[in-house]
Amino acid sequence: MTDQAKLERAYRRLLAWYPRRFRHENGQEMLAVLMACAAGGRRRPGLAQAADVIRGGLWMRLFPSVPRSARTVRAAVRFMYAGAAVSTVNLIVLLAVIADIKAYHAVLGYRLTAAQASQFNTLAITVGIVSDLVPIGLWLWMAGANGRGRNWARGLSTALFGVATLDLTGAFETPVFRVSFVPMLFGPTLPVLTWLAGAGAVGLLWCLHRVLPSAGPGADAASTAEATGADLPRAAPAVTVTAIGGALAALASPAAIANSVQPLAARTHGSGGVSVIILAAVVVVLLIGRVVIGRRRG
Amino acid sequence: MAMRAMQEATFLILTALADGSQHGYGIITDVQQISGGRVRLRPGTLYTALDRLRADELIGVDREEVVDGRLRRYYRLTPAGSGRLADEAARLQAHASAALTRLDLAGGTAT
Repeated sequence: MTDQAKLERAYRRLLAWYPRRFRHENGQEMLAVLMACAAGGRRRPGLAQAADVIRGGLWMRLFPSVPRSARTVRAAVRFMYAGAAVSTVNLIVLLAVIADIKAYHAVLGYRLTAAQASQFNTLAITVGIVSDLVPIGLWLWMAGANGRGRNWARGLSTALFGVATLDLTGAFETPVFRVSFVPMLFGPTLPVLTWLAGAGAVGLLWCLHRVLPSAGPGADAASTAEATGADLPRAAPAVTVTAIGGALAALASPAAIANSVQPLAARTHGSGGVSVIILAAVVVVLLIGRVVIGRRRG
Repeated sequence: MAMRAMQEATFLILTALADGSQHGYGIITDVQQISGGRVRLRPGTLYTALDRLRADELIGVDREEVVDGRLRRYYRLTPAGSGRLADEAARLQAHASAALTRLDLAGGTAT
């Protein structure tokens, strides 16, 4: 093996420090530059050169650069992870109170009737746990799918977010009539937080649609096409997924289970509170949109 | 929105691309020349910066060539990149002239 080939092999090995995406796209090119920079007759990379290559690779792995056009997607995915976190809190609280549901209600000042207590049987508890696990899984799945740019999730997420919105009403009913576990402790906080995460993601989807067309002209054709071509489909599903996750999370929340047990008429109870919350949520979504758009213009 | 000051390496890379597209090694030699031999970019530093600049859409790929069996990618400034470089150059110029003016007033050390 010639010195040249040895040196090249050593550099190739150093390039393993870089993210796969970068190696795939720029590996050959960077290797050529490394070889051009190396003084003649070298068989192995100099220490400083090697340290610089490694530092660059670590930097890219620690702080991956996100294309401008994909930044809203990234934000949407963050919302999804936030939704997963809230759902996890929901599950943890449920698991904590499930052991002695009667004592828990007594602490809160409610006395369960025999009929109500009998509803907390093994089946109900299992359903409660599973329906808390499902949204966590969905949030994570959606975040992952959106991060990878899957397009199918879009319609589904939006639909699910719609369902979640409808279902949110269940979180505002008077606790006494509800056969739920967790919401008695936090009121509608957790379902509302979950819903907001979904709303944030959907808001980002709409921002994306508004922002992208104006980002097109002026920008250089080659690199923009390259970036948006890959990232536009990437963005939409991200939000979709969030929405689905949010919807299912709310749907599967204990409040929702309880809700399904109650007669439909009971739903009308909290409509005043619901409209206030929905109004607040719309405001939040609009604010997020403004911030995102402002950043892009800046 | 307030912009952070640009790192020197970034500033020099954008300057190297200001009057035409260049490939990676060309940028290194050009930056060395612009800086009077003071700044010699290492490949790791260069490609970290290029990666970030492409993501920020300040530079784009102009064309690709294969030379001696190796891919050579030429980069160029985008309109956003030109604007950003112009802003940064104006900012540095304002600072530099402020410094020189004050030194002048203080006793004419900067002639």
